[in-house]
Parts: sequence; C-alpha cells; structure tokens
Amino acid sequence: MAGLKKKSHGGTWGVLAEFESPAAVYHAAEQVRDAGYSKWDVYAPIPIHGMDEAMGLKGSKMAWIVGTFAAMGASGGFLLQWWTSAVAYPIVVNDKPFGAWEQFTPVTFELGVLFAGISAVFGMLAINGLPRWNHPLFSSERFLSASDDGFFIGIESKDAKFNSDATSKLLEKAGGFNIEMVEDQ
Amino acid sequence: MAHAIADKSKLLSAANTALPVGAGRMASLALLALGGITIALTILGAVLGDDTAKKVALASFHVGFLVTLGLALGSMILVMILHQVNAGWSATIRRQLENVMSMIPVCLVFFLPVAILAPMIFHWMDPHYTDGDVVYAAKASFLNKPFFYVRAVIYFGAWLYFSQRLYRLSIGQDSDGDRWRSAKARKMSSYGLLIMALTTAFAAFDWMMSLDYHWFSTMFGVYFFAGFIGVATSLCALILIILRRAGVMEGLVTQEHLHDLGKLMFGFVVFWAYIGFSQYFLIWYGNIPEETMWFQVRRTDGWMPYSVALAFGRFVIPFVVLMARPARRNPMILATVAIWLLAFNALDLFWVVRPTVHTPDGHSIMFGWLDAVAILGPVCIFFGLLVRKIASNPVVPVNDPRMDEGIAHKNYV
Repeated sequence: MAGLKKKSHGGTWGVLAEFESPAAVYHAAEQVRDAGYSKWDVYAPIPIHGMDEAMGLKGSKMAWIVGTFAAMGASGGFLLQWWTSAVAYPIVVNDKPFGAWEQFTPVTFELGVLFAGISAVFGMLAINGLPRWNHPLFSSERFLSASDDGFFIGIESKDAKFNSDATSKLLEKAGGFNIEMVEDQ
Repeated sequence: MAHAIADKSKLLSAANTALPVGAGRMASLALLALGGITIALTILGAVLGDDTAKKVALASFHVGFLVTLGLALGSMILVMILHQVNAGWSATIRRQLENVMSMIPVCLVFFLPVAILAPMIFHWMDPHYTDGDVVYAAKASFLNKPFFYVRAVIYFGAWLYFSQRLYRLSIGQDSDGDRWRSAKARKMSSYGLLIMALTTAFAAFDWMMSLDYHWFSTMFGVYFFAGFIGVATSLCALILIILRRAGVMEGLVTQEHLHDLGKLMFGFVVFWAYIGFSQYFLIWYGNIPEETMWFQVRRTDGWMPYSVALAFGRFVIPFVVLMARPARRNPMILATVAIWLLAFNALDLFWVVRPTVHTPDGHSIMFGWLDAVAILGPVCIFFGLLVRKIASNPVVPVNDPRMDEGIAHKNYV
C-alpha cells in the first residue's frame, strides 16, 4: 500500500474498504473484530443477519435510557396528580377519596409511555451521533454505493490500534478492495 | 442459516424428535394418582360436609375445570393465530400447543359434573333466588336453563371440532408430508378464530360471570381470554424447557424460541393487567351499585388480600422480571415465571368464582383444604394425561413446510 499517503488537510478520518458481497463483508467483520478494533463500522444497503455477533457488538444501551425516562414520567405523573388533587387543592369529585390511586392510573401510564417514546427517539439520535450535517465518508466517491450495492468497512484513525499501513493490510487480507484513506473534514 | 439447513436431516432424526418409549410414564402416573386421590378427597369432603361444603367443593372443582379449559383454549387460539399469520418461527414449537389443545375432550369430562350440579352454585337457576327479581327477569331470555345447556353444547361442539381437526391435520402431516394440510389448517384458522372469539367470550359470561348474575361487565369475555392466552404461552414455554432438558429438540427449539415465548408471556401479562384494570376502573368510577357490588365483595370481607396478591403476583412481579432481556433468554428464570403464572392464573379464576359462595347467613368462606383438593383434582389429571400425549407424538411437526424457517429462527434485537 505504498500509494496510500495521509493527505493532511484535516488529518485522516480513517480507512475504507469495499467488499464483494454480504458474506464477504460478514467474514471480514469477524476478522476486524478479532483483530481487536473498537472504532469501526460496517456499511451496507441491506440489513445483514448476524452482523451484530460478527462485529462483536454488545447490547444497546437504549433499554436503560428508555426505562429510566419511563420510570421518571410515570412517577412524575403520579406525584403531580397526587399533590395537586390530594394535598395542594383537594376537590371532592364524584365522592371519591382524594388520594385514590385508581384515578391517577391512566395519566401515570400515559406519561410513562410518553417519556419512554420521546426518550427512545432522542436517545437513539444521541447514541447514533445525530443530527449532523456531513460525514467524512461522504467525500469518497465509491462510498455512495453503500446505499445501493456496495458493502464497506470503515476503520477510524481514532482507534487505538489504528495504523494506516497495518489496518489497510488487514482489510485487504480480509478480501477488501478499493481501499482508500478518507480525510477528516 | 445454510449451516442449519445442511444439518436438517440430523436435527429431524427420530433421536432428536421422539421421546424414548416409556418417557414420562412415572410423572404421568404420579400426576394421575395425585389427581385421583384429590378427586376422591373432594367427593369425600362434599358428601360428608354440609350444604355449604358441597357448594365450596363444586365451585372449586369448577375453578379446576376452568384452569384446564383455559390452557386448552388458549393453546388452540395460539395455534390458529400461528397458522393464520403463517408464522415460520413457530414451526418447531407448535406441536406442544397442539398437544395441549387436543385435551379439550378431557375438559368436557370435567364440565359434566359442573353442568349436572350447576343449580347448586348458579343461583339464577334456582327460582328461590329469582322469584320477583327484576334484574333477573330482564336477563331471563338469555340466562335460562335450556339455553344455557344448548350454548354449552355449541361451545364444546365448536371446540372439539376445531381442536381435533387441527390436531389431525398436523399429526397426519408427520406421516405423509402433505403440504396442503398446512394450507387447510390455515384456512380453517381464519373463520375458526372468529368462532373462538365468540365462544370463549360467551363461555366466560355463562360459566364465570353468571355466578353473580346481577353483575354487568362488557369486558369480562376479554378478561378471561387475556388470562388464558398468557398461561397457554407459559405452559408451552415450560413444556419446551422440560423437553430440552430431556435431550430432544437439540437445535430445533433454541434460546431464540424461548426468548420469543418470553416476549409473548410479557405481552399477555401486561394485556391481562390492562384489561383487568380497565374493567375495575370503569366500574369504580361509574359507581353504579349493580356493577360495584362484584368488586365490593372482593375488596372487603377477607377477599382483599387475594385481590392484592393477584395484582402483584399476576402483574407487577412477572412484569418486572420478564422486562429484562436476559431473563427471557434464561430457561430457568423463564420456567420459574411460567409456573408462577400458572399458579396465579388459578388464583385469578378462584378469585372470580369462589367469592360467589357464601355461608347461609351471607359470610364469605376463605380458601381451605377442600378448595385445594378440588382445584388440584382436575388439574393433576389434565397434566397427567398431557404428559402421555406429549410422549406419544414427535415433539415437533417434522414435515411442516415452514420447518427451515423455524430452525433458523433468530432474534436480532
């Protein structure tokens, strides 16, 4: 890979390699995983079954985010109703006890669902690093086919194990072609 | 996936899909013996006891019958849904649901004593209670003895027809591999589901709600359904976990299938709570005497601890446990929750049926030994016969056209 040099406008984002098929990119991902990289990703126009294991991805943190916000929404909804209608300004409605849990349940439930839903959307965006205007990979001509028929692996230079020559060799050995350095912008 | 299909003939070999001859015989005999003893004790307790004891015995036997009926009906509805949506993932688990579903004739046998002795606990059958009762008079065109029995015949006729047809289509496919049997089962399931929805709802009105014949609730049919569909899923998971331990179904039923059954259990736990609360909430808020009296009994007079136990045991605790993905993927935890839910479903039915039996001066009678044996009797016999049924067939529908999909099934989230 003598032809590959860092073009130093804003440093190197990382290295990108193209693969022939879903199977090829799947097995290449296993090799990158086993080589111990952590800041890298696979780009494909279709979901590839089993890719999570091939990449060694751990379970999503989303459940904890959504669960926390759902609990906050539900308890906040309950306390708000209980405080307003049983403590701060008790009003007799339909001869029911002021603090009866039954009447608070629908709003408690709905606020739990609302907070869960909103936190699911924004938590997903935050974890995915969205919204953003651009991505260094978009400067690669070849990469456009990732939304059509191209399968790619990109390894970031931020990765502790990153070494432009060794990383490129690894991808080439794994069956990658059109290997290119992608500039950071 | 390619890997799984290459091994298909090995996975579907007799060693992996058939239990050894005589498997489960001891368990079956033990359950049948326990069932026989408890039924004998029930009869003894009823015969030697006073009128109230007779009513208690019959009401709790009725609870035991409803537990077994719910398992069979829930399994049948699940089988129909899986056929109807052409669910490939379920090809390897469906046989166990079919085994439970095929037990409907046993439920019919349990129903006979209840039907014959019905006037003892169904007070609307007794003119002593209904003379001059305007609420009953308004319901009498539906709630009268002849029509009650005609409806029972219709329900059981439909259930026997669908369960035995669907069962034979699946068993027949084991030997001849005819793919058209799957298409027939799917077609039957379409109108079958509609009939099941109506018959189970009306059966719930007839056999559970009418015990308190003054009561009104349009939600009750769904309440029964929401309960039994969840325990049918639980029982299926439990059977599969036991069979996996027995060394069959290797690679056929995996953690992935159990995970999905765990999701369904979780969903139906929430659904049951949703329906149960909605029924309670509207009645609580509306505050109309002929509706609230049903819950008033269950909130006072010693039944309140049962109601609280039901809310926590049938909803809060399984809800929290099954929420965690690792719990749904762990066979031991899933089996524990499944047994837990089976027990609390029995409590649910007990809580619906038994508070309608009082002492002659109107006091409630709490759970006693007679209730325990009367519920255990039919339940043990049902499970004893079910073990035999499971052992007598291949544990998966070996020639199901969706088998490849079922074997390769995985959860990606």
